[in-house]
Amino acid sequence: MPSQPPLPHLLTPYISTPPRESLTAVSSVVGATGNWLILRFLYAALTDAGLRGVEGERKRKVVLGLDLARLTERREFAFVDGLSELFCGPTASAPSRAPSQHLASGPTPRTTLPTRPHPGITSLRQPPPPSAGSDGPPQITKDAGQVKRLRLSGNGAAALDALERDITAVIKQLKASGLGEDEESEVSLIVDQPDLLLAATGPSKGIGATEMAEWIIGLQQAATATVATISADSPLIHNASASAHHIATPLETEHAAFAIGLAHRAEMVMQLRNLETGAARDVSGVLRVSKGGAWGQRDSAGQETWEEKEVLYFVQRDGSVSVFGRGE
Amino acid sequence: MSFRKRNIGLSTGADRTPAATSASQPQPERAVSSPTATPGVRPSPDDGRPTTSTGSPSLDNLLAGHGGLPIGKTLLIEENGTTDFAGALLRYYSAEGVVQDQKVHVIGMPQQWGRTLPGLIGPAEAADEKSDKRKGERMKIAWRYERLGEFGAGVAGARAPAVTLGDSSPSSMDDSLAKPAFCHAFDLTKRLTHPSIGNITYIPIVPTNEPLLVSIQKKLQAIIASSPPHITHRIVIPSFLNPTLYPPEVGQPENVLPFLHSLRALASSPTSRVTAMMTIPLSLFPRSSGLVRWMEILSDGVIELCPFPHSSDALSTSGAATSHEEPPQGMLKTHKLPVLHERGGGSDQNIGQDWAFTLSRRKFEIKPFSLPPADGDQEAQSQARSDKMPKKEDLEF
Repeated sequence: MPSQPPLPHLLTPYISTPPRESLTAVSSVVGATGNWLILRFLYAALTDAGLRGVEGERKRKVVLGLDLARLTERREFAFVDGLSELFCGPTASAPSRAPSQHLASGPTPRTTLPTRPHPGITSLRQPPPPSAGSDGPPQITKDAGQVKRLRLSGNGAAALDALERDITAVIKQLKASGLGEDEESEVSLIVDQPDLLLAATGPSKGIGATEMAEWIIGLQQAATATVATISADSPLIHNASASAHHIATPLETEHAAFAIGLAHRAEMVMQLRNLETGAARDVSGVLRVSKGGAWGQRDSAGQETWEEKEVLYFVQRDGSVSVFGRGE
Repeated sequence: MSFRKRNIGLSTGADRTPAATSASQPQPERAVSSPTATPGVRPSPDDGRPTTSTGSPSLDNLLAGHGGLPIGKTLLIEENGTTDFAGALLRYYSAEGVVQDQKVHVIGMPQQWGRTLPGLIGPAEAADEKSDKRKGERMKIAWRYERLGEFGAGVAGARAPAVTLGDSSPSSMDDSLAKPAFCHAFDLTKRLTHPSIGNITYIPIVPTNEPLLVSIQKKLQAIIASSPPHITHRIVIPSFLNPTLYPPEVGQPENVLPFLHSLRALASSPTSRVTAMMTIPLSLFPRSSGLVRWMEILSDGVIELCPFPHSSDALSTSGAATSHEEPPQGMLKTHKLPVLHERGGGSDQNIGQDWAFTLSRRKFEIKPFSLPPADGDQEAQSQARSDKMPKKEDLEF
């Protein structure tokens, strides 16, 4: 099997340099998940962070999580764990260790901070190549003690504010530790599936699409560039529309409002979906990159180096990804 | 866990050769060769992560080349209609856990449920029986069997020949013979009697002063945290959200989703070895609802069972290729497979396949589904059969 570059060429213009203060929305569905794309975002940010000298294979391990511990020590990467204890309530829970990792700072020290209030968390270390599979996780868990674990408590905006404070505190630490230069580091923030917060709380807890949107805006302000992933399965988007045959549940309406709002505020929307023609053996799904609602509103509008595009991708068993156009 | 990884190379190597000649031999050998390994846990042939059996070889093979359910993963089985095929899968899963001396936690079911677990046929006996039966089948429906044999190994194969066990059907047959220590055969008409059956924990649904699912989750967490780390746990949740078992407010997203999220956190905690399997009635909670979609997002694997309605018995009878084969009882769809979809998904040849399942006394079998030639059309039928071989080869090579 030909080995793939860690960052597929077709993808490079889209994920390598998210503009300042931008929001990128990545949508996924059950059969076409976005972890691989998030890993590429991470990779792009972290390799910019001065790891250029390292040879290819090594670089990829960075993406795959093996070196994340080291980067964490260097304060270039921080991981905020939204899986382990998010719903544990106010009382302390068993000392479970978090699958966590993270870090990254950049050439203009750019730091990546994936927040993953979602079970997908483990994905950061999930796709190790077979040879690395056995020693990856233990290495990572060594640092578990340093990882901030999110915990949702209380109701409504106050609960979200608490989470935001936790996350911005970590961002500030990263900014402050930027290689000793005078200026602050840039910090990229990856928020993985913030929609879980919305789905798992609901109106009865006073968290709706509006509160979530404000929460994302708050996080955006703390970070230099933000990437947020969201689920876009048909029931979550279309059930809320007036043409649906049954009455939408609050979960569906709020989710649709949040997802659509996010797309409107994003500069770039990357959608992952299944092939319409059914499963194929050499295609995992379709990636569509399109302009979001906020595209072109900044001063530098018109200088974007990317154009809208739809491509196919294929995730191989070793976790490498090839991206290609239809028919190529 | 590097020590285990080294083990697999040795033990499969050792197992496979004798397996070809005698079916009963490999089991004791395996026990000797890997004394440190936990019973019922073996490394995945795909990437070496520890996996455990679902108690049903057919389902194990479906799980994206790992030959079992990877530790730390959760499986959601959805079933349409009023049948309880998914319940049978849960029983196999629980029985396998009991036999392997793993800790089984059953949520929302009384102790009687544990007494209805299927009786153990036993690994060796099962292997014998299986190979006999397979041989018999092979003579009569060679094309059918060949395809079936491939789907165990082929799952891992095709894409990445380097990591597979081998893509020829003989080796996959060896695997199934060497497997019994990992997966047992059970008889649904018998009752399981095993010394460790008393170790099953039942977590009843009783009103508490905190939300029901929160208290269940806390109990699970406490039990798992207090048991030694080498114990493997199985969490069994039959008929989740079924209103005859669960009070209605449990079905609210703000109750269900945090529970599933916590369950996932519990399962993926590196300090414990947990797998979970739950079933949900789709007739009450349709896939087209946002809630169920979120449950799928929060599960590592999602499998949907669509039993044929009773009226289509005629169809399903004719669906059997020969009179010796059980007619399929329904369709099975894989929407999401553990690990594979976490990685990005879609590259497994099992995805998008049409599967049919057959539940018989001794096994839950999953096979590729194909519509048979019209009944009575003997000519077409024999032609179809001879067509199959070349067709398959075209596809595979």
